[in-house]
Amino acid sequence: MTKDALLARLADAVISGKPDLAKEGAHEVLKNGVSPMAAINEGLVKGMSVVGDRYAAHEVYLPQVLMSAHTMYAGLDILLPAIPKEEVADKKKVIIGVVEGDVHDIGKNIVKTMMTAGGFEVLDMGRDVPISTFIESSEKEKVDVVAMSTLMTPTMDGMKEVIDGLKESGYRSKVQVIIGGPPTSPTFAKEIGADHRDANAQDSVANLKGVFK
Amino acid sequence: MNHMERAMAALTNEPVDHLPAYPIACGVNRNLLPGNVTYHEWCTNPKLFADAFVAGHKYYDFDFAIGLMDLSVMAGDLGAHVRMDEENTPFVDKHIIHSVEDYEKLEVPDIKKGRSGVILEGTKIFAEKLKGEVITAGFLEGPLLALTQTAGAERVFMDMFTNPSAVHAGLKTMTDYDAQMVEAFGKTGANGLCWDYLWANYSCLGDKEYHEFEGSDKYAAKLNRMTVENGMALCIHNCADMPHLDTQVKEFKPVIYSMAYYPLIPGSPSASEVIEKGYADNCLIGGNIDPQFFIRATPEKISKVTQDLCQEVKTALCKRGLNSRYCVASGCEVPPDIGTKKENIKAVVDTTKKYGVVKC
Repeated sequence: MTKDALLARLADAVISGKPDLAKEGAHEVLKNGVSPMAAINEGLVKGMSVVGDRYAAHEVYLPQVLMSAHTMYAGLDILLPAIPKEEVADKKKVIIGVVEGDVHDIGKNIVKTMMTAGGFEVLDMGRDVPISTFIESSEKEKVDVVAMSTLMTPTMDGMKEVIDGLKESGYRSKVQVIIGGPPTSPTFAKEIGADHRDANAQDSVANLKGVFK
Repeated sequence: MNHMERAMAALTNEPVDHLPAYPIACGVNRNLLPGNVTYHEWCTNPKLFADAFVAGHKYYDFDFAIGLMDLSVMAGDLGAHVRMDEENTPFVDKHIIHSVEDYEKLEVPDIKKGRSGVILEGTKIFAEKLKGEVITAGFLEGPLLALTQTAGAERVFMDMFTNPSAVHAGLKTMTDYDAQMVEAFGKTGANGLCWDYLWANYSCLGDKEYHEFEGSDKYAAKLNRMTVENGMALCIHNCADMPHLDTQVKEFKPVIYSMAYYPLIPGSPSASEVIEKGYADNCLIGGNIDPQFFIRATPEKISKVTQDLCQEVKTALCKRGLNSRYCVASGCEVPPDIGTKKENIKAVVDTTKKYGVVKC
């Protein structure tokens, strides 16, 4: 099978939401000496971009997007460890999580997927993430972006506490802080000192690509 | 007009003295009760649950009373772990579906126990106390919402794709649970029953998926019919950004449809668009003040927002040849947060009285 055919197979696996095909495809590209970075960017990510575009156009919906994301990660689990360290050195690093007191993470997971597909290295802290974890991990992991999400009103103030903590630690000036979730707004982002409020996953990636271009 | 006259007129598109108003204030009304009632106490005690709705009606002069508790009632009674902080809305933090087989193991709980029992008993109390004063309604989670709360939304959505029969097994149990609740709500004396069918959202599901996993006669359509057969008016709340209006308003035919508006999301329908497209022709539309304003805005700001909404609605109603059929409401529940300002809830009602007069 040619390199192009192998990459197309990976992209198709993601588009059709078939994790087993992505795993098989990932092993196949490595066996055939294809660069894992190329397999990610021209295979998995290309497929996820197609799904992202179809989702934005309301041609596919959350079940398909989630399965495609699951499929992409199945391939990434095999391909990422095979990338030489020097090739990932210049990737921008994002820490993402749902703030303390909230466990609704479906939106966060979609943003994480699109960021990964957009070329960012994403550290997912999960949900109900303590304020101190955001602050301490940001500095420890030397991240470029802190991304926080919430669905619930009472937990919104936790976002401000993270930003205040980043200011106190002196790390705020080194990161972009982005927030998202239904109760948030650009006005709220401005009030708490965040850099951007993301309207959706595509907006989130487009904003960051603009910031880091 | 008194509250009943105004609400009935708006429901039937008769002229009103002013548009009805009902910010969806539920848990926040506990702050009107003596003794610093916590959210936890309010949502586990039927008398406190009911007293808060009565107190809210008296203090704010609402035109409706709809007994929303929160969206973890059914999941909690099915066995999911609910995180119950003293002052915050409870939520499920540990789901109970961990494999495809687990969907089959779900069993309808005893609806007289748990918070299902609290909401039924509480609704009965406030429906009795407010009888003849305002239109009252119970509030119930639709089967797909109850399932996603129990199993986790991401799990259910992926299983829709890979194991649809398992999801249908879970939905059958949820529908049986809902059916028992409908019959019980029918005995509370509430005038209506408001369903939360929030996954009818084009940001989440298409028409095909929504029909298969909730909208069909196996699930929502059957429950809607049962609602009416049990003597209650069908009402629907959906705070989605892109609601399935054709299905939920034109096909389900509720008498009240409560909805939100997300101005930053392209395609999210505004009040005027909803009216202009005919969705208020046969249904009272409620909406769409951003719930965050009740915490973060000043009374002056929220009054201006309400005034602008009244003007938008009046213009659209007149253009459509309608007399009323819009209720000034919040797009979703007024946050039960202790930071929510009473004066902002009051401002919405008072501004609607002043600026909600429809004269075409």
